[in-house]
Amino acid sequence: MLKMHNIRKSFRTDTIETHALRDFSLEVKEGEFVSVTGPSGSGKTTFLNIAGLLEPSTDGQYLLDGEDVSNLNDRQRSHLRNEKIGFIFQGFNLIPDLNLFDNIDVPLRYRGFNAKERRKRIEKVLEQVGLSARARHLPAQLSGGQQQRIAIARALAGEPRFLLADEPTGNLDSLMARQVMELLEFVNEWGTTIVMVTHDPDLARRAQRNIQIVDGQVCDLRPVTEQSDAVSA
Amino acid sequence: MFEFKPILSTLWHHKASALLIALQLALTLVIVSNTLLIITDRMEKMARPSGMDIENILTVNFLAIPQDYDMAGAVRADLDMLRALPGVVDATHSHQIPLSGSGSANAFQTQPNQETGGEVANYYRTDPHFIESLGLALVTGRNFTETEMQVLAPNEQRQAPVIIVTRQLADKLFPGEDALGKPLYNGDSPMEIIGIVERHLGAWPEWSKAGNVVFFPALRTTQSMNYLVRTESGERDALFKLLADKLAERDSERVIEVNTLSNHMARSYAVDNMMVKVLSTVGAMLGFIVALGIVGLTSFWINQRTKQIGVRRALGATRTNISRYFLVENSLIAATGIALGAAAALIANQYLVRDYSQPVLTLLPLGICALVILLVSLGAALAPALRAANISPATATRSV
Repeated sequence: MLKMHNIRKSFRTDTIETHALRDFSLEVKEGEFVSVTGPSGSGKTTFLNIAGLLEPSTDGQYLLDGEDVSNLNDRQRSHLRNEKIGFIFQGFNLIPDLNLFDNIDVPLRYRGFNAKERRKRIEKVLEQVGLSARARHLPAQLSGGQQQRIAIARALAGEPRFLLADEPTGNLDSLMARQVMELLEFVNEWGTTIVMVTHDPDLARRAQRNIQIVDGQVCDLRPVTEQSDAVSA
Repeated sequence: MFEFKPILSTLWHHKASALLIALQLALTLVIVSNTLLIITDRMEKMARPSGMDIENILTVNFLAIPQDYDMAGAVRADLDMLRALPGVVDATHSHQIPLSGSGSANAFQTQPNQETGGEVANYYRTDPHFIESLGLALVTGRNFTETEMQVLAPNEQRQAPVIIVTRQLADKLFPGEDALGKPLYNGDSPMEIIGIVERHLGAWPEWSKAGNVVFFPALRTTQSMNYLVRTESGERDALFKLLADKLAERDSERVIEVNTLSNHMARSYAVDNMMVKVLSTVGAMLGFIVALGIVGLTSFWINQRTKQIGVRRALGATRTNISRYFLVENSLIAATGIALGAAAALIANQYLVRDYSQPVLTLLPLGICALVILLVSLGAALAPALRAANISPATATRSV
């Protein structure tokens, strides 16, 4: 599903070059639920941005769904993001002036679906996240957990192959965080590949595999169970 | 995909600032459309054909100092001398100077002793050389002859038996008829129309009846007299000083002032010219202020929505989608302002027509102004919209 080989991302100022990622290689298989952890400044967000085609890498090869996306132009990257990738952000990133229906509608409009198709998809995902009755409400009228469920609904409406979650429970209390995680696990069971960046080791353990990033490099690619065993021993 | 619905939803949540800009645009349209109308009206007025060879005409005004001055003799001698000067096409005397803002008018009727009706017209006392001296076009009939000339004492009231009129006056007094040979009256004596000139604006170009002009073959021997001297093309400035010198040389007992007809016209149109400049400046400044307002508001909204734009980009919006979003948003505000402004402009115009005799605002100038305001508005929003399109989709994942 996602294959990165020797990815490098560096930021250059007049005097200094900083490497956010270097010799970064990993593979995520279709249908996997992978968590990505690492200390602050390790390169998690840079990885997320490159994986989500939000910014290009400086060097290296990135294959998404078998297609080399390393050198696509901005328009091609936009179309690919819209068609294949769903995003879930820590701060939900719902558009405050639009009701829930219209928020979910945003990526569908960029996809070019007609009004009937969009309505069908929106109603379906609203039902899946259990918020059909709140379709005309504004984000501010919802709790944090409900807002994140709407963000998940927005990410799912385009039926992406691949879901990128950036600290999806970072702004939620433990009860709501658990509900959101259950929803993500449910989505993964339908076959959607999920890569979740998190600080929370408990959440990371719920993924099938955990990737640890330290100093811009992958340092641990073992399945979660093996990592847990190692900790116990 | 123009995203009208989400844009309208967003505007609804920011309706106060959107409405303020729309009202600013509306007010601008009201002012600019009515201003344009006044400017166009003034410019059309100034661009009216005068019927004269204005660029090649010199005017001479003199005041005789001696009380027993022989005006008839002086005029005869002066004109003979002027007509003989190289570079002079022809010269005539006149009791008034065209386009100078100073002249005489009277009412002319088609029936003797008619108390109502008729037309008020500016009139000249001049001679058979006036057509050639002013460069007028005689469209029908004939010129005066020397034998038809009347020399009048300063207070003598005597009707001329023959007159020449402008076509405008002839058409007003005899609509649908041939006015040639018909009499006009200013009392009981008939004045036969022997010739019709194509057009002449007369002494007051600002007058609502400018163009109603009658020419009499007469010379009234007052202390003051005017000459109108038409020169060959390009000779006017060279003859300017020579004329004054020659006239002073021939007779030094008078005060002579030489001028150009162009100067008289410029002085007559000075207020119109000033109004055109002032109103154009006001209109341009208004447009500029509106543009600044739109740049400010659009930039403010884009700064406010930087994260939101990043999210849209992350969700698949292309750069074109983003810039189009802001341009459509701006167009919707502009369209609201233009709709409000168009209605208000028409209402304001009714008031201007009724109380200030301004021209009626038609849909064409209103449409042109609306289009210009829309383009100014879009132009002002373009730079911020393009800037918004360059916001990175990675902004969506930034926590600050």
